Amino acid sequence: MTIISNNDIAQAIYLSSKDKTGHELSLFLVRVVKFLDRKRFLGRANDVLFRLKKIINREHGIIEAKISSVTKLHEETKKDIIHTLKKRYEAREIILLESLDERLLGGIKIEANDEIIDASLKNKINKLQEYLIRKV
Amino acid sequence: MSHNPIVENLKREIENFSSQIKAEKVGHVLEVFDGIAKVSGLSDIKSSEMVTFPNGENGVVLNLEEDTVGVIILDDFSKIQEGDEVKATGKILEIPVSDNIIGRVVGALGAPIDGKGVIKADKTYPIEKVAPGVITRLSVSEPVSTGIKVIDAIIPIGRGQRELIIGDRQTGKTAIAIDTILNQKGQNLICIYVSIGQKDSKLRKLQTCLEEGGAMAYTVIVSAGASLPAPLLYIAPYTGVSIAEYFMDQGKDVLIIYDDLSKHAVSYREISLLLRRPPGREAFPGDVFYLHSRLLERACRRNKEYGGGSITALPIIETQAGDVTAYIPTNVISITDGQIFLETDLFYKGIRPAVNVGLSVSRVGSSAQIKAMKKVAGTLKLDLAQYRELEAFAQFGSDLDEATKKQLERGKRAVEVLKQPQYAPIKIEHQIVTLYALTKGYMDDVPINKIKEFEQGLTDYSERKAKVFYKQVVEKKMWDERGEEELKKVIEDFKKTFN
Repeated sequence: MTIISNNDIAQAIYLSSKDKTGHELSLFLVRVVKFLDRKRFLGRANDVLFRLKKIINREHGIIEAKISSVTKLHEETKKDIIHTLKKRYEAREIILLESLDERLLGGIKIEANDEIIDASLKNKINKLQEYLIRKV
Repeated sequence: MSHNPIVENLKREIENFSSQIKAEKVGHVLEVFDGIAKVSGLSDIKSSEMVTFPNGENGVVLNLEEDTVGVIILDDFSKIQEGDEVKATGKILEIPVSDNIIGRVVGALGAPIDGKGVIKADKTYPIEKVAPGVITRLSVSEPVSTGIKVIDAIIPIGRGQRELIIGDRQTGKTAIAIDTILNQKGQNLICIYVSIGQKDSKLRKLQTCLEEGGAMAYTVIVSAGASLPAPLLYIAPYTGVSIAEYFMDQGKDVLIIYDDLSKHAVSYREISLLLRRPPGREAFPGDVFYLHSRLLERACRRNKEYGGGSITALPIIETQAGDVTAYIPTNVISITDGQIFLETDLFYKGIRPAVNVGLSVSRVGSSAQIKAMKKVAGTLKLDLAQYRELEAFAQFGSDLDEATKKQLERGKRAVEVLKQPQYAPIKIEHQIVTLYALTKGYMDDVPINKIKEFEQGLTDYSERKAKVFYKQVVEKKMWDERGEEELKKVIEDFKKTFN
């Protein structure tokens, strides 16, 4: 028996619901919940929703980027980052999820699309440490 | 301005340092257990790619699943936590190699563990490599002299051959491997001993034995002890063969011993089951054959155009109650170019090395055997086979004809001659003299309990007296009429003094 993965369920929900709106969509979502219940998949609902969000973002060219910095970023800087990321990932929209992290000491750290661009002071110091204690 | 040289040096180093910001592929640890980590993310990772964990631990990707990646951790995994960042390196696992590794004991990743300081590495070699192709190979024609009479005479091993040593526990498998290493002094053969899942006490004993025999001057020991996690046991033989390839690429001949591949298969089974790969026969995963075939295929003899050199492999397999039809033994038997089968019964009968001549075979080694040995050993296997048959038959009847009695007596003496103590390898020319005396019937009237004494005396005496014969065997690998006449005379003279 093949195992239905959460990704398969999310993909199926997305494909079946993408042309539906309003009442039709509501009815469909009720059917989805009933299906998950019947198949005893409700325990997986959180992960399915997470994957559904990922699929929708990918289909619509939306990328979520986590940005960590020591202090709050200026609007100008954010615009620059969004512009750079849009170009890098050929995305239509970038959603910035900001957070403050004092451990970075300075600079910023961006996490998007399974990639990390670490321009923090902490990372630079770590790299310097690696360089100084390298085996010659 | 400071004039402290340390500070100045540090300043200069910092000035030279430049760091570029680059995007790194990362994932996050979902779960970690028993040397295995499940990682999310790492979308573009390849199979067998190396990854690094935050505290510098290394891992290798084995499973690529839809949502997660299964990683084996090659260091202490106790510090890795859920949510830790895992970075892809874009490289497959490599080990440091250099000529300075000879005489050292290294771990499964090539790092020294003998407390003799760091090994300065010249370069790194990938642990996984495709075996040399058919165009680059040469057939086996040069012998590996083991110094063990029964092997050199009946189951000869050639450079580039893969000869399995198989038998139950405590039958002398490792002893054959060690004797072979000890006999390589001055033979232009670098030896690599890979210990997989063995007790550290056994390894220490072995190392001492090799040191005392002066064999560490051309030997490397790769050890993944029994206390280490399964991923390191799985990696160790590949590390060993990578070191061997480093020397082969310099055109040198290498002998590698895997002690033992049963434990290697067990460690791979453990990893596979933890990674939730489907179990097959004896719960081994489906690719356990490939695990060993890709390892042993890297043993080869390369032709001159492709740099020459060879890797001879002696894998060891431990059987349970002499069952060679179990899964792993049959796999490795089919991969290798022959096997040396050791039996408990023979061992306890005092026939040591306890080689079962009937079941042991060398499929390619005979073309590597020197002519002189081929000539004296030609009839030996047949003699022994006939003896065994007659021995069983003779138990039922007392009246035997003269010819049968003679054959039985010859067989008994052959068995006696092929006995050999541990750590006492014998020079090939001495072996030839002894076997010549045996097969030509010079030992037929020597009492069985005096065979060893006769053999020892004959080799000492003939080395002094049969100078032409010895010279011919060493230089031309064969004797001519003059040499043979001299040897015959020397044996007859010796017999007179012996009696």
